[in-house]
Amino acid sequence: MYYPYFIAYMASGFVISLVIFFWALNKGQFNNQQRARFLALESHAAAGPIKLSRKGRLHAVILLIMASAGLVTSMIAVTLIVLNLVG
Amino acid sequence: MDRMEESLQNNNPTAKAFTLTSAAWFALATSFGMIAAGYLIAPDFMANIEFIHFGRARPMHVNAVLFGFVTPGLLAAAFYFIPRLLRTELYSHKLGVFNAIFWNITVLSGMIGISFGYTQGREYAELPWPVDIMVVISFTLVVINLLLTVRNRVEPILYVSIWYGMAAVILTACTYCIGNVIWKPDTGALVGIPDAILLWFYGHNIFGLLLTPLALAAAYYVLPIETRSPLYSHTLSLIGFWSLIVVYTHIGTHHLLQVPVPTWLKTISIVDSIAMVIPVMVVLINLWLTVKGKLGAIHASIPAKFIFTGTIFYFFVNIQGSMMALPVVQRITHFNNWVVGHAHIGVFGFAGVTALGALYFILPRITNKPLYSKFLADLQYWLVLIGITGFAIVLTIVGLIQGNAWYNGETLYRTLPEIQPYYVLRASLGAFIMIGAYLGLYNIIRTLYFNRGAST
Repeated sequence: MYYPYFIAYMASGFVISLVIFFWALNKGQFNNQQRARFLALESHAAAGPIKLSRKGRLHAVILLIMASAGLVTSMIAVTLIVLNLVG
Repeated sequence: MDRMEESLQNNNPTAKAFTLTSAAWFALATSFGMIAAGYLIAPDFMANIEFIHFGRARPMHVNAVLFGFVTPGLLAAAFYFIPRLLRTELYSHKLGVFNAIFWNITVLSGMIGISFGYTQGREYAELPWPVDIMVVISFTLVVINLLLTVRNRVEPILYVSIWYGMAAVILTACTYCIGNVIWKPDTGALVGIPDAILLWFYGHNIFGLLLTPLALAAAYYVLPIETRSPLYSHTLSLIGFWSLIVVYTHIGTHHLLQVPVPTWLKTISIVDSIAMVIPVMVVLINLWLTVKGKLGAIHASIPAKFIFTGTIFYFFVNIQGSMMALPVVQRITHFNNWVVGHAHIGVFGFAGVTALGALYFILPRITNKPLYSKFLADLQYWLVLIGITGFAIVLTIVGLIQGNAWYNGETLYRTLPEIQPYYVLRASLGAFIMIGAYLGLYNIIRTLYFNRGAST
């Protein structure tokens, strides 16, 4: 019988997560969320303006096309598998 | 610049040590990968050198990538941004540098051990028992250093990157002990099906509860700074964090749908695998809305373009992962190169590429000098992008060929010639990544130690 150990482990993880969650709640970690949005920016001295380039935008479009093509290909493959197996 | 700011900017030997660790192991890990790829093209490749035959080169590659390259790269970033976000100094840089040295000894011991045939023979958990103990010590040292830094914080609010970073190292320190069954030094394993369940609990959590949170911590830190935009929603980011913690832990069993694992556990793993769409999309929607309208800015910045690309691969790997957990899909996609492609997209395309971006982000800041060569970093980006995208396509195709052949009862000797050209392509694409790794190592060493650029 090994299930009780796994269930005990999963349950202990859940309980520890709850303890940390309520610690955070009591310590006000979820209170000032508007200020929290700026913490990364505040941790750095103000940087100069961003230098933009047309090449950079083109690069973004190429990346988007590559990602979309990959996703569509993957979707088609999975759909065909499902149709093939279920049909 | 006040004293604290100056101190935080100029004194980070811990981040420097982990940066060098990551860059060096990236080069070595990809070299091991190339050797393994060579065996897949020509099985008698280096046939007489037992220390690096396929059965040893592959786990050396996997463990070097996980524990030599990606984790230290993301930890280097964490050792930089956690003190800054908390407005305090790292608890101990002496401990941090010792940690980095010990980390290298650990990974090196693991590589030597595996090359000499000392392995526990469990996927992602091959490292022999003494090295397992060293890994646990390494993570414990990281936990102590970062936890005491959090305790000494001046900033009361914990930014989402702190949550992700701390969860990653604390959970992994525990998961590694349990997954590697370190209370059984002779085998490092349980017996039978329980061991399989435990192994995949561990194996999947190395990606989901170590690399993923560390990479997201870096992304949440770097992208707002590089695009000069505040985070779209910190509340949303915390929802993403907590849902990841709740959902991810139980999905490892989706690797065991074809074996006699209890049905309730399989069901949990499938449901949670599909539910992973929630934490992933929460993160991606948040990050993408943060950088909305700033795509030009992203691609003007070396770190941001690496990390933004990482987010796209994260999206891709998650959609794949959720679909692959469906039993009907898995009949074709499991036990073949589809899964290998999926693992490469996740570990390298997402976490590895994000680690590279994070390293390029912190390098000028910890050396107080510009990057030695932006051109080399840009070249590395394209080599890596072409390499990993090609990997994804080639391995997916090979996986479908193998999966269909198996499903239709074709014999192996008819399948092997069909997939041979793809293995040649795979090795070629691996060469792109390896060359990128060595260029990155050169660039990072020059930036760290031989950089004549003016101080920033």
